[in-house]
Amino acid sequence: MKKRAIGEAGWGGTAIAAIVGFIYFFPVLFIILTAFRSRSDTLATPPKWIFTPTLENFYHIFYRSMANSTEYVATGFHMYFFNSIYISGMSVLLALIIGTLAAYGFSRHPLKGNDTYLFIILTTRMLPPIIVIVPIFLIFRVTGLAGTYTGIILIYTCFNLPFSIWMMKSFFDELNTEIEDASRMDGATERSVFFGICIPQVKAGLAATSVFALILTWNEFLFALLLTNKITRTMPPAMARTIGGEINVDYGLLAAMICLFLIPILLVTYLLQNQLLRGVTFGTIKK
Amino acid sequence: MSTIELQNLTKSFGDLTAVNNVSLKVDENEVLCLLGPSGCGKTTTLRMVAGLEIATSGNILIDNKNVNELETRDRNLAMAFQFYALYPSLTVGENLANPLYAENLSEKEIKEKIFEIADILQLREIINRKPHQLAEGEKQRVAVGRAIIRDPQCFLFDEPLSRLDVQLREQMRGQIKEVLSDLNKATVIVTHDQLEALTMATKIAVMRDGLIEQISSPHDIFAKPENTFVAGFIGTPQMNIADCNISNINSSVLEISLLNQIIEIDFGKALDINKNENYFFGVRPRSFDLAETATNQSLSGEVDLIENMGSEVLLHVNSNDASFRTVQSRSHKIKVGDKIHLKPKKSQVHLFNSDGKVVAHG
Repeated sequence: MKKRAIGEAGWGGTAIAAIVGFIYFFPVLFIILTAFRSRSDTLATPPKWIFTPTLENFYHIFYRSMANSTEYVATGFHMYFFNSIYISGMSVLLALIIGTLAAYGFSRHPLKGNDTYLFIILTTRMLPPIIVIVPIFLIFRVTGLAGTYTGIILIYTCFNLPFSIWMMKSFFDELNTEIEDASRMDGATERSVFFGICIPQVKAGLAATSVFALILTWNEFLFALLLTNKITRTMPPAMARTIGGEINVDYGLLAAMICLFLIPILLVTYLLQNQLLRGVTFGTIKK
Repeated sequence: MSTIELQNLTKSFGDLTAVNNVSLKVDENEVLCLLGPSGCGKTTTLRMVAGLEIATSGNILIDNKNVNELETRDRNLAMAFQFYALYPSLTVGENLANPLYAENLSEKEIKEKIFEIADILQLREIINRKPHQLAEGEKQRVAVGRAIIRDPQCFLFDEPLSRLDVQLREQMRGQIKEVLSDLNKATVIVTHDQLEALTMATKIAVMRDGLIEQISSPHDIFAKPENTFVAGFIGTPQMNIADCNISNINSSVLEISLLNQIIEIDFGKALDINKNENYFFGVRPRSFDLAETATNQSLSGEVDLIENMGSEVLLHVNSNDASFRTVQSRSHKIKVGDKIHLKPKKSQVHLFNSDGKVVAHG
């Protein structure tokens, strides 16, 4: 692959890209700025671009006065934050493990009617979640999974699995199976072929799949709203409660929450970016 | 003893029979080439020997031991793959070392082995490079090196030279042949390139549609094809094969009517054939001598087209709306439109019956 020098696109192209980029980024920028505005600055029209930044919104995320009181109390938000990380982390990990194994199976040891199975797996993602929420809610009530970590992690794992299987299968399909055969000839067992030969070659795929699954899970609202309780609640429903729970919507507070909410996903994406780029362009570049 | 024997080996994928009742034997020191067009089942046969594909029925014997139930890693074979199959993240040296890890050798022994192989195949200078930094020819040598570094029972090569350019291919052909002759093992090479087969093999098995058409020495495959498929598949330019009729039999001399001409051929012995039945007459383009005048032992025709082949020319000769081809020296200065007379060389003609089976070489 030919590497181009930075700046080769010229000023004109760079300017257009910058403008488009800015338009895309503007809402995020606006939220970040809002998070640092004081309450009066937040509501000013036209928006104040020059203001004294304050951290009070961030403080209010964790401690604020509830209705009819001036006393600052802990909001328990750190717990929701932890819940989000724990629940999405676990479900993505589970989906990745099960999905990778399943994908390897589908790719290397096809069943009779392999494509049908794959299609059936995908159909579970064709319905809007709202359709299945009622039966799932009832199942969770009966089995006692409602409101538990196990319950929500399982449902998210199910949610992520079809996608992980399909994506990982396409990565396994892309591999040169001769290399696996060669290692069998060299005396490798099936297990070492999988772990030693296949997995290292689909690292990019694992990264891409986990980021996509993580983003889906991290932002998921509906299941989280209905299937978690006070203890296991994740960030999206917790933030929603902030909008509805008070007389005025505190946009500054909400913006600050969103800023915090963005950090983990940004971090993961940043850490995996090299792999990710290879992952999403996999197969499109002739090697 | 390093031998490979296949007994009635069959492999079906659903309705498709890729390999159909194949039996053959490769002795120690023998190089067998499985030769055939794409999709004829030659690679599948090789993969079954390697244990990478499970046979539907039949037996595979290595060193006279049935290995049907053995996993690939327990069969003690080495294989070089068509696309080289080098481990992308390992260097050349590590790639070569990989087969040795299963053998419980010491670091020092492994190092020695690697350098020994690297010297044979001239890989010393690139020993620390990764596969993506190698040229095609180098990758190919590493793949061969990885196959021969161990001391396996037998060697398997899957289209080892198909990805190299012509020059490199010629060079590697010699090199592989040399390496193999030092190893004294039963070797199976899969190829669709007849030149590769004819030069490297001690025995060639021509396959078509999962069936073995003929197993013989390279010379016999070329000089004594058993049917029209082998006759047409082996040799470039392709053999001329035309419908013919026997109009008269005079002990060993047949009067054959062919391309609306009558030609007399002496097969050297009396043949068991019938007059006025349909046969196929085959003669290679190089097996014609130019004759001064038309005789009852020559075919006549007008040159339609001339293809340049360097010191020789390939002539398309038209005779009564049927055409055949011949290769002649450029020094004859034949031009398009010339009328020429061609006499088949003695004992280089072939007669096949209407099923395509050989009746006589003469």
